[in-house]
Amino acid sequence: MAEKTVVRQVTIAGRPFVLRSDEVVRALREIDPEPITRHFVVVGTRRFPPKQVVGEVTGLDRADFTTHQARRTLIRLGFSAGRRAAATSNPRSTVVPGPGMVADPLALRLRDFIGKWVAIKDDDVIHASDSPYELVGWLGRHGQKADSMLRVPDDELSATGLAPL
Amino acid sequence: MRFSFRELPDPASDMVRARPIVDVVVEGLEIAPQACLLDSGATAVRLGSHVAELCGVDLSEAPEKRLAVGGGLVRARMAEVSLLVNDGSESYAWTTPVWFCDPWVPSFGLLGLTGFFDHFVVTIASYEEWIELTPVG
Repeated sequence: MAEKTVVRQVTIAGRPFVLRSDEVVRALREIDPEPITRHFVVVGTRRFPPKQVVGEVTGLDRADFTTHQARRTLIRLGFSAGRRAAATSNPRSTVVPGPGMVADPLALRLRDFIGKWVAIKDDDVIHASDSPYELVGWLGRHGQKADSMLRVPDDELSATGLAPL
Repeated sequence: MRFSFRELPDPASDMVRARPIVDVVVEGLEIAPQACLLDSGATAVRLGSHVAELCGVDLSEAPEKRLAVGGGLVRARMAEVSLLVNDGSESYAWTTPVWFCDPWVPSFGLLGLTGFFDHFVVTIASYEEWIELTPVG
């Protein structure tokens, strides 16, 4: 998440815009993130396709700009960007990071989602929700299938799974 | 079938903790396999009651009991469901009683003796952080 407000004048699809990072965060607050195909940006604790974010904050048709333009614009506003790991035979593999990219191991990235329900696919968090019902609803709405679903432990009891005898 | 341990953040420190966790597909909820901890201290397979609701299992007439979990009481209701594990090259499916619990505090399901350990020969190589499951019979 952008920690302090960053303001940038940008030109996208031939049109000038003044974008503020805090307005991007506010605009996306109630928006359901779409599935990530390859690139993403982190807004708050959630990941969005860059084109979805720029489309939402500018009102432009997504066909009018590229993922690369959207990603570059959002990085300049202070947001972290990343790329989903390609599906490989080794689920622990990660992509070598480029500038401004996130490349932490999954377990460290899960720290951003403590207490949340997460859907994991190809060693990446594809969606996080406050409830398992919302999470499964999102998967169904977007035609997604997760590899795994769990709630990221927020205390010792949830982490140890103390079992009844 | 072989699985690597799953690393999860440790809520009490900056470290991560590797655990013997496998993903179990519950029939009716194929789009969201449930992360489950292998727990030889549990007598049965236990999942949160939300899983039953999400996969369409009706628990209204189900056998019920109260269990003590982490100092609190939970309501546990039992239903027979089909489960499946898959390591990417092999899979194994079986039908077993599962106790669906409410409330459910753990972050994952628990795979206990009846319903899981009695279906597999289980090797847990904790030092090397892998699990091997060989179906019985």
